Amino acid sequence: MTTTILTAAVTTTTLATRVAGWADRHPGRVAMRHKHLGIWQEVTWASYWDTAQTVAHGLLDLGIEPGDRVAIHSENRPEWLFTDVATVAVRAATVGLYPTNPPAEVSHLLSHSGAKLLVAEDQEQVDKALAVLDKCPDLAHIVYLEPRGIRSSRQAATGYPRLLGWPELLARGAAHRAAHPDALPARMAAATGEDVATLIYTSGTTGPPKGAMLSVANVEFAIATHRTGEGFADPAPGPYDLLLSYLPLCHVVERTFTTWFNAGSGSQVNFAESIATVPQNLAEVQPTILFSVPRIWEKLLAGVQIRLAHASWPKRLAAGFWLRRAGRIGDTLVRTGGRHTLASRLVYGIGWVCWFRALRVRLGLRRVRAAVSGAAPIAPEVLKFFMGIGVPMFEAYGMTENAAIATANRPGRIRLGTVGEPLGAAEVRIDPHSSEILTRHPGVFTGYFRDPAATANVLTADGWLRTGDIGEWVDGTHVRITDRAKDIIITAGGKNVAPSELENALKTSPYVKEVVVIGDRRPYLTALVGIELDTVGDWAQRRRIDFTTYRDLSTKPEVVELVASLVDDVNQRFAAAEQIKRFRLLPKELDHEDGELTGTQKVKRAAIAERFVDLIDDLYGKPAR
Amino acid sequence: MRDSYAGRLQRRATTRRPLLHTSYRSDMALLNTRAKRYAVLALLLVGMSLPFLLPDAFLTELAGGSAYAIGAIGLMLLTGFAGQISLGHAFFAGVGFYTAAVISGDPDGRALGFGVTEILIWLPAAGLVAAAAGALVAPLATRLRGLYLAIVTLGLVFVGERVFAQWSAVTGGGSAGRPPPTVRLFGYRLDADGAFTKPQQLFWLMLVLLVVFAVVARNLARSNVGRAFTAIRDRDIAAGVIGVNLTKQKTVAFAISSFYAGCAGALFYTTVLNVNPNQFNLFLSVLFIVMVLIGGVGTISGAIAGAFLIALLPRFTDALAEWLPFISTRPQDVLNDSVTRFVLYGLLIIGFLLFEPRGLVGIWSRIRNWWTTFPFSY
Repeated sequence: MTTTILTAAVTTTTLATRVAGWADRHPGRVAMRHKHLGIWQEVTWASYWDTAQTVAHGLLDLGIEPGDRVAIHSENRPEWLFTDVATVAVRAATVGLYPTNPPAEVSHLLSHSGAKLLVAEDQEQVDKALAVLDKCPDLAHIVYLEPRGIRSSRQAATGYPRLLGWPELLARGAAHRAAHPDALPARMAAATGEDVATLIYTSGTTGPPKGAMLSVANVEFAIATHRTGEGFADPAPGPYDLLLSYLPLCHVVERTFTTWFNAGSGSQVNFAESIATVPQNLAEVQPTILFSVPRIWEKLLAGVQIRLAHASWPKRLAAGFWLRRAGRIGDTLVRTGGRHTLASRLVYGIGWVCWFRALRVRLGLRRVRAAVSGAAPIAPEVLKFFMGIGVPMFEAYGMTENAAIATANRPGRIRLGTVGEPLGAAEVRIDPHSSEILTRHPGVFTGYFRDPAATANVLTADGWLRTGDIGEWVDGTHVRITDRAKDIIITAGGKNVAPSELENALKTSPYVKEVVVIGDRRPYLTALVGIELDTVGDWAQRRRIDFTTYRDLSTKPEVVELVASLVDDVNQRFAAAEQIKRFRLLPKELDHEDGELTGTQKVKRAAIAERFVDLIDDLYGKPAR
Repeated sequence: MRDSYAGRLQRRATTRRPLLHTSYRSDMALLNTRAKRYAVLALLLVGMSLPFLLPDAFLTELAGGSAYAIGAIGLMLLTGFAGQISLGHAFFAGVGFYTAAVISGDPDGRALGFGVTEILIWLPAAGLVAAAAGALVAPLATRLRGLYLAIVTLGLVFVGERVFAQWSAVTGGGSAGRPPPTVRLFGYRLDADGAFTKPQQLFWLMLVLLVVFAVVARNLARSNVGRAFTAIRDRDIAAGVIGVNLTKQKTVAFAISSFYAGCAGALFYTTVLNVNPNQFNLFLSVLFIVMVLIGGVGTISGAIAGAFLIALLPRFTDALAEWLPFISTRPQDVLNDSVTRFVLYGLLIIGFLLFEPRGLVGIWSRIRNWWTTFPFSY
């Protein structure tokens, strides 16, 4: 069996030995780039592994033992990868925290994981940790990366002696390395496939986050799958692939694309300056493989639409013409599963010279050979648009608990509206009774950290992982996901409705940012709609509608009318019982720090239902409380 | 073997991604795109081959245009970058011209001369003496700004014109004038027919010098000195607050600008036989201002474009006179070609200031932006 061979082979290697291998074979090649003072600074494999070793010695010096947890609370940057690899090298487990995590969640994650050391990016993250220090008795040291605002004031004011700067960690590491040069190789040699490599906390749309333990063997299975080209990119990623790293590294999917692709296949990681600069960084880096969540793809699409609407009339004319062609090409590609016909290839070829090439250069998608969308359902129209302008888009599906290895659409066999075929050696099954999707492969996690009850809930005795997603087979090869099991709405009339279909149909519009469909045990379906400030603001300005804030804008009758027309359009595509009868606009932008979104920008339905209870009561005609 | 192949692929990662700057050097490169490199190369090749393609009269005008361009670059550094409006540029050009003429002049001639005809000696000398004069004037600029500075430098031109007219030992006197400097490069006489004709040789000389002066100015503009200039232009008080030494930088600006003016003055008249001291009058100063304004304030290429436009304008008005019968070529008529030229100067200034304040370069960058932002507008 393929699976057993893979498990046997991967127990010997870890992320750390892979990085060491690259440094040994190709010391001068670029492993990653990060932008500093306007220049993309390059880090070679040699210096990557050298720094990681020093950090690992630093961790040894600070008393990190095998099985300990090291937490990282930082934006994506080289130090994240140095720490991650060093942690794996000393056989400890990395715990990533979302930079947007509010102190309450930081407290939960740090205390629950029992992290012994925290690498915090700057004063903001250090402050969050210092505020909850008494709830985290295991936390022995905090290492900060940016000294600004910490060095002088914080240390003195808090009197907290266990606060270290990154240079201090490196200095300790260097001293330890000089004194005990064999300590790290000895520790690494003892590594086994059962070591927990990382603890990834699920985003927790319902309830507190659970820490999924991914072992070294799990990670190695994921890497092996991607290296064979049976993963998200086909042909397999290689040293000549450039990736842009900008989604939180504590999420399994960014870890796949940044760390695992990098260490496994030698692809070059480029760290975006921040989430706000992604469009510029995309244009600079012109990545060859790009993963994004639907939210970002929708935003890219909305950006194209706005900028084209603002273009001068000859450019608008050209855009109109070529966008219609792109629509047709998209239709053809959807029909053929992503393979060009002679006619569509010809049209695209001419369009490439006249228009598509320029558009893709501006968007930073010129060299993208595999664009992957995942982590949440995406509207097919968005995928079709990008396919039409020539970006090979593949919707994929996976979750933390199976190391993001489950299904993906494959080149030439794309089925829109499905999440594709099982990847490589992954087994995927749909339970005939509950329609729940189950996966089984060596990448399936070893369990939730300190939560055997939850583990028993999702892992069956024979190794199947219950994903909690409801799906069906399409033509026996592709999986279509209906919705999260918990999210299915059963109306008072007994009708089962998958809210994500309605929500995504509405989110296709550039004016709509968030939709929450409500209707469980209610007489009819309603929705809370959050408008996109940029696009609706622009729309309002061009109609000379004055507004001040988001709240003000969302109460304008014209804006309500705009959204009403969008809702009507969407309703026509659904049966009467699945139509949104009434809606209200959300008075604020949903935010992670206010507890309305998860770290991955997914809506927490329970929190929304609680916070906007007045709006919901209003939708169902109850008197306001 | 594998490494070198992959290494090549990785190098291509940066060469084929023009915005992925992995070093300060590539970020600041003047010719940062392949298109620019090829365009500049083609322009230089065309420029160097022009003497074989154009008649000598045209070459003389282009050589004059190159000398104008050097002067205009000087004024651009002072006015366009450092924001110091100067009407005294003609005075510095005069200082440079007479320095060069005296050094290279015939010792037995009517006016003073030392007979050192090597251009490598008299050209730097012309520049340095003019620069010294500029540095002497600079303290005025540290006390005055805007219109007041313009008025003071205007006074300089009047004083200069008077001195040049009266000091006949050097200038040959108000009505007679003196011959321009003799041009020898490593002993080879350039301003007389030799292996090539005089206009061909002078054109090549001027073109090479223009390239040298332009590259130096462009580098200066992107150095710390250039950034200090721009800071002073945008708001001198703010520049002073962030630590720019105003007195020093304004003096540097005047000195460099005058150096360029001196060199331009020395070079421009090498194509003629005799130079009258009233050449260095207010009109020449205004002409330099016109070049800077029409070319595009704040760009070196603008100064060059403006200078060539002004240098070639007489040719254009002559052609106009041929096509439009009401423009006469006889000096005694009211609407003759020289009047047309002056009217055109005026119209050009008004037109550019009203409709294209960023000058010829502004038109070009508008065209370029249309394509670089395609298919969007921003």
